Amino acid sequence: MKIPIKYIIKKITLFFAVFMGAITINFVLPRLMPGNPAQVVYSEILKSGGSGISPVYLNQLEVEYGISKAPIYIQYFQYLDNLFHGNLGISIAFFPEPVSTILAQALPWTLFLVISSITISFFIGNRLGRYAGINRNTGKDLAIDLFSMFMAAFPAFVLAFIILDLFSVYGRLFPIGGAYAINVNEGLNIPFIISVLYHAFLPALTIMLISLGGWVLGMRNNIIPSLNSDFINYSENLGFKKYQIKNIAYRNAILPNMTGFAMSIGLSTSGVIIEESIFSYPGVGMYMITAINSLDYPLIQGIFLMVVIAVLVGNLAVDILYGFMDPRIRQEGE
Amino acid sequence: MEEKSNLNGKITYNKSKKLNGYTSIIRSSLATLLKNNKSKVGFILLLSIVTFSIIGIFYTPYNPNAYLFKFSQPPNFVNLLGTTGYGQDVFSELLGGAAPTLMIAFSVGLLGTLIAVLVGIFAGFTSKTTNAVINAFINIFLVIPGVLLIMLFGTYFLGIHQNLGYLPTIIILVITGWAFGARTFRSITLSIVKRDFILSSILIGESKMSIIMRQIMRAIMPVIVSNFFFTSMYGAMGLTFIEYLGVGNVEQVNWGTMLYWAINYEAYLTGAWWWILPPSIMISMLMFSLILLNFGLDEMANPSLRVFKKKKRDKNE
Repeated sequence: MKIPIKYIIKKITLFFAVFMGAITINFVLPRLMPGNPAQVVYSEILKSGGSGISPVYLNQLEVEYGISKAPIYIQYFQYLDNLFHGNLGISIAFFPEPVSTILAQALPWTLFLVISSITISFFIGNRLGRYAGINRNTGKDLAIDLFSMFMAAFPAFVLAFIILDLFSVYGRLFPIGGAYAINVNEGLNIPFIISVLYHAFLPALTIMLISLGGWVLGMRNNIIPSLNSDFINYSENLGFKKYQIKNIAYRNAILPNMTGFAMSIGLSTSGVIIEESIFSYPGVGMYMITAINSLDYPLIQGIFLMVVIAVLVGNLAVDILYGFMDPRIRQEGE
Repeated sequence: MEEKSNLNGKITYNKSKKLNGYTSIIRSSLATLLKNNKSKVGFILLLSIVTFSIIGIFYTPYNPNAYLFKFSQPPNFVNLLGTTGYGQDVFSELLGGAAPTLMIAFSVGLLGTLIAVLVGIFAGFTSKTTNAVINAFINIFLVIPGVLLIMLFGTYFLGIHQNLGYLPTIIILVITGWAFGARTFRSITLSIVKRDFILSSILIGESKMSIIMRQIMRAIMPVIVSNFFFTSMYGAMGLTFIEYLGVGNVEQVNWGTMLYWAINYEAYLTGAWWWILPPSIMISMLMFSLILLNFGLDEMANPSLRVFKKKKRDKNE
């Protein structure tokens, strides 16, 4: 197989452009806001009757937040330098834990949840969409369409609460929170893996249900024109078997959904953050809610940056994979 | 549309005929749209939700903000949908909160689509370098998870002791929601611009503005409407997210804040379904109606999705 070098180079260039853009947004946003985090926290402490607090403490806070009075471009280079060394500042809510340590704990769980649930929903959704498209304008088609549309339209967090309520609180079938039980040892052993899967089931189920609709409808609307196209007629006349024809149509119809897959990583990360806070899953989302409630700016910025990087890398991976899957794109790059 | 060439070779149009042309297009597309059963249901659903919200502007049974009743009453004849855990009438809240919710959803849809169309068409028409820069810019906004940006904004606002009122909410949702449409419009414009009929228009000497308004806009009209629906859905969804996170102004009554209070009161644990389900169902009905309408649009723009009565393959299947 020929490697689409030009295409890959193009994608990697775009990756770095977007990456720099995201980093810059993260740098600019806090500086656009009136006041600075240190002052906010300082006045917050004063208000709650904090005694023995002096302006010296404000200075100290400003140092901790990395706020300096230096010219903006020097600040920017300092910020880039810090990022390069993985220095994201110190969390306020989990003082004196550095933000990078918290993220290192939380991010794997989030990635695990996102990747597993989105992959499962991608496969199930495409299969359902294929089934609906092949049996189009029948009762089955309508049932599948309506179900997936309704799921896509329902507010995600309410669905999460209902599922949590039904299965954990009243049903007591699944745990209420956490990523694994307390009585198992962390590591690669079977009880631990089972416990992790058991705890991830409900959050993953919710994310899957929410994201199913897009795949189903996309697949259905792609496979119908594909089934009507000339090459399918031709293969029919050549005497291909019915399941072979369905597979040919399916393989053509899945390509637009593959592009969607890359983008949905970003979109579903938003959803996952909400789900995690509801299911008390120790991913980024749970920390995010704590960070918002305690105005933990360094942590929020760190999470923002980490998630954006994760999404970007995911996008890049899918894009490159796409280049291998679709011969037309390979040729375009040459 | 009637076209007249004058001596300079410039094309002038009969103004009244032009207007007529557009209205007839809209009328005929609406007719096509309503032929489709799914979009017919969607249209009726949307129309009833809009009516519901208009009623809510002028009349609610009780003041939705007042704490008039006993806490957490299940539905009865006095309170059609029961009362909240704080003693408000759920039905009044639902009715009064409809208009702000729809207002936010549709303004996000309108503004987001407007920006998307402008950016997309501009990118499709400019030089290759500008196009690449705009593409990277669109991708930045596409990749950044919207909810995270909302959180980032929201906490800064909370820090200066301000909630996200309706206007900041709309602005943030537009900022995070325009890129998806812009990407679509950019690629469609790029593909249209390369076609022969645009080239011949340029050769005749038609101005760029006229080409955009007369040919490109018309070609992408179904996509614009569909994008409006999707961005409106994003607006409704985004509003509930903002309210759920508590960074919005939770004193205002809309379907998002209703959910916020219901969840904060842990209504799902106390079994107060009449508090948490009505706003959820109304939001999903709104989204549902837009998705259904979109179905019809899809079939309008893509005739191969339409139902044809007799087909060889249907027999084989």
